[in-house]
This record gives sequence, structure tokens and C-alpha cells, in this order.
Amino acid sequence: MTVVVHEKLKVLLIDEDHAKVQGFKDALCDTRYVIAHHSGKHASLLKTVDKLQPDLIVIDIESPSRDMLESLSTLSHFNPKPIVMFSTEQETEVITQSVQSGVSAYIVGDADPERVTPILDAAVAQFAQFNSLKTELIETKNQLDAKEVIDKAKRLLIKSKGLSEEQAFHSMRKMAMDSGQKMEDVAKTVVSLLDSFHKGARSV
Amino acid sequence: MSQLKRTINLGFIPLTDSAPLIVAKENGYFEKWGLDVELLKQNSWATLRDKLHAGLLDAAQMLAPMPIASALGLGTIKTSVITPLVLSLNGNAITLSESLHQEILKANQITSITLPMAAYLLQNVVNLRKQKGAPKLMFANVFPFSCHYYQLLDWLASGQINRDDVDIVVVPPVNMVSHLESGEIDGFCVGGPWNAKAVRSGIGITALTSFDIWQDSPEKVLGLLSSFQQQHPDTVLAICAALQEACQWLETVPNRFEAARLLSKVKYLDASIDVIAPSLLGSCLTHIERSPRSIPSYNQFSANRNGTINQPELVRGEWLIKQMHQAGQLNMEDIPDDFIASVFRPDIYQNMRCLLNENAGIKSKCTGT
Repeated sequence: MTVVVHEKLKVLLIDEDHAKVQGFKDALCDTRYVIAHHSGKHASLLKTVDKLQPDLIVIDIESPSRDMLESLSTLSHFNPKPIVMFSTEQETEVITQSVQSGVSAYIVGDADPERVTPILDAAVAQFAQFNSLKTELIETKNQLDAKEVIDKAKRLLIKSKGLSEEQAFHSMRKMAMDSGQKMEDVAKTVVSLLDSFHKGARSV
Repeated sequence: MSQLKRTINLGFIPLTDSAPLIVAKENGYFEKWGLDVELLKQNSWATLRDKLHAGLLDAAQMLAPMPIASALGLGTIKTSVITPLVLSLNGNAITLSESLHQEILKANQITSITLPMAAYLLQNVVNLRKQKGAPKLMFANVFPFSCHYYQLLDWLASGQINRDDVDIVVVPPVNMVSHLESGEIDGFCVGGPWNAKAVRSGIGITALTSFDIWQDSPEKVLGLLSSFQQQHPDTVLAICAALQEACQWLETVPNRFEAARLLSKVKYLDASIDVIAPSLLGSCLTHIERSPRSIPSYNQFSANRNGTINQPELVRGEWLIKQMHQAGQLNMEDIPDDFIASVFRPDIYQNMRCLLNENAGIKSKCTGT
């Protein structure tokens, strides 16, 4: 992992306990992380997240605000953020294994600078990796969808126009080149035209 | 018979409808069934769920859609959670801030809102705000996978309010009233005692209850890991039997008031009877200057007019899946056949009923428990 040392990362710390907050601030004072604090009790967390655009969110696992955070990706259109949860109870550590992937690393106990920084680093790196995997997955899925619609258009052309597979493919490629569209978009037009044509023909 | 696991960690969120768990503990029903149960108060649904998945909690009170979400891996790592018992029906309400109340009166040129409030009264407010370029109305609910969220969506849809014309966020129940008071949200859908609390504080109007939106849908259920049930089938039956007895005890009005007293304790809801008792007694506080509405089914724990309610019927589960689908949280094609039968478990419920009958000396058709 390459760390760009000059780049400061904004950390939003959600916790109601002010002593703990100070501990974190002290632990991170000479690192690439800058801490903004949110108590969760009164001011709206969503507004804070929107305004601050933190690079990382750190939250006490026992904070009621966790449900709000949980909804960021599900209900709202906020970009997902790496989230680190901390707990002061040793036993809660086992939760790490069951928490959603890409969401959490874990700190147990006091904010020891030697320990906190690598955990935050790991969370940021892990999240970036998770996100790139997710993007890759979406791209692969889109490519598969495109292949599917092109195949369907080819089949319809073969059936309705009596073309060979090669002729069908070439005619679509020519349409794409002439109109400056993607093959996929041409295929979509072909499918919707021929589909409605067939349906219309049947209902006559 | 499998070995009974005597000590049980049971998670709950402090709400009026956690009554069955608290009554089972306080009235000694868990003890009677050989269990030493510790009730562990949780601050968020997400953490309650994660602790259940990790085995830190043996069982927990859950929002009815949560076991389904866990089993499908929605918002969490896929984990086989089951529910053998429905703990309550209804219990939520939608409360609007006093300033939105006034805005509705003005926008519709009326002097009073007829309750339960029809959502179309929001249309003029939404449109006026759009014209003025004012912020959208912001409504809060308690969790992405909650009946509260789906009820809010249903109510807005019933008034032809476009989903994109409002903002919907999650706010923890304990912070709902302060968020409404500060104007950060314009309304919320939450369970008791928070609606009554907002009305008593004079900062809002309870527009309608969840019973006005959906009649008798499961609200809270008992959730536990499928693996826990396989390891400790008899313990699960004992937990269910104790909770079932508590639900039955909660059936009568005199007991309901006693329950309100238990719930108000610091270690449970830490709230006054003033705001806990009304919904338990079938009263929906509406506004500081108006009379309460009578909603006999506001909190249902054991029976309704159609019989008993605690069996986790498969049709109920399927219905919840449909709500999740309508909210855009899942694709129906991704749901395996017979999926709901792996989450909602009327078979375990039936075994528990047999145990209760046996215990009462009633002969029944039960076999092999």
C-alpha cells in the first residue's frame, strides 16, 4: 500500500463520551488524519456527513447513531464511506467477523496511537479495494448484459429478416458505425422495434 | 431431550412493545421454564443484529423484517436467522412537527386536520415548497429494514406523494423527539413511547397510527440463529413458552397498566407512565390541545379478533418480503423457493404450544416433542 503522506484524511468521530473523543484526538495529532467530532445527540448526523464529506467514519459500536449510519447506503444516496467501529469491551471483538465486508475494522480498548493509525490505514485501504472490486463486478455485469441484448437482437434479425448470423452482426455493426452509437444501444433499438412489430403482427 | 442451556442473553431495544420480554422476566416466567435470562438493553438495531450474528446474544427482540434481511444478506453478511414467535402487532405511529402541522393547515386553508390524517393533505405543502425552492419535507424512521419505513412509504403513496419529493432518513428512536423539536426532521414513524412523548411535550401531532395504515401486521418478532435452535431445541421452546405466557398475561387491560409500571423502570424504558401507558391501554394521544383517539389494537401481544397472533405464519413472512420488494430492497427472482419457511418457523411455534398444553395437563394431538 502506498501512503501519500501529505494528503490529510478527514475522520468523522461519532461518540457521546468526550473523554474518549479527546483520547482519539491526541492519538492522531501527528498523523495524516484530522478529526471532526459529532456527538450524535442533537445535530443531524446526515447533515454533518453531507457537509464534511469525511474520508472515514469512526463510531462507538454502542452508539444509537449506528442505525443512521447503516441507512446511509440503503436509504440515502450518500456515497459509501469506510467505517471503523470501536468498542471498549473485549468480547465485542468477535463481531468483527460478522460485520459487513468493506465496512469495518475494529479497535478494542483505549486509543493507543501506535495501534489506532494502522487500523485506520487498513480500513481505508480495505475499503478502496472493496470498492474497486465492486466497480469491477458492476462493469462485468454490464458487459454480460450488453452481450445478452446483442445476441437477442441477432436472433430476432435472423428470424424475421432471414439473415445469417454473420449478416445480422454486420448489419448491426454498420448501423452502429453510421449512427455513432454503441452496438449495445443499436441492439436495444432492434429488440424493441422487432418485439413490438411481432406483437403487433400477432394481435392483428 | 437436549440439555437445557440455562443462562440466556436476550437483547432488546427499550420500546413499549418490548413488554413481553420484560413481563416474562419480571413475572418469573423465564424462571418457571428453567431459564436464567439476562435482558440486555441495546442502543441500535444494527448492533443488536451483529451481536446476535456473533453469538453474543442468544436471542433478541427484532423488527419483523430483520430475520428476513439477515437470511438474505441484506445490509449484513448472510446469516441464517429464524423466528419461531411473533411478539407483537401494530404499535407504530406517524407524528408531524407542530410547524408542519401549521403548514398543512395554511396550505389547505383548513382549521383542523381530521384524524387519522389523509396523506393527500401533504400535496399542497410539497408543491408550495417546490415552487419556493424550499427544502423537501424530511421524514425519519428507525431502520432500513423496518415496518416503520414501509408504512411511511405506503402512507405517502396513498396520498400520491412522490417518493422523490420527500427525504427519508433514519434516526434512532431515543433521538426522534429532540430531532423533531429542533426542526431537523418534519415528521417520524416510530413505536411507543416516542409518539406520546412528542405529543405530551407539545411539539407534534400524531397524524395516524400504523393500525390506520396496515391492520394487524407483525411488528416485533423473536429472532435467533438457526444454529442455536439446532443445538438447543428445548431451550428455544422454553424461551418461546415463557414469552407466550407473558403475551397472554398482557391481554387484559388491568395487566396492561401494571406492564406500563414495569416498563417505566430505569433499567428498561426509563420513561414516565404518562407516555408509556396510553398506547398499552388503546389510547393514541394526538395533540396537546385535542382528545386522544381510541385505538383498541394499538399494541397487540396475544390475540386479535381473528384469534391468536403469535404464530409466525408463512403468509405474513411472504407479505413482508413483498413490502421489501416494493421498497426496492430486493429482487423477487433472488428469493429461493420455500425461502420463507426457512425463516418463519410455525413448526417450532406448534411444538411450543404442545409443551404449554402438556404442562397445563391438556391432552393434544402433539407427537414427539
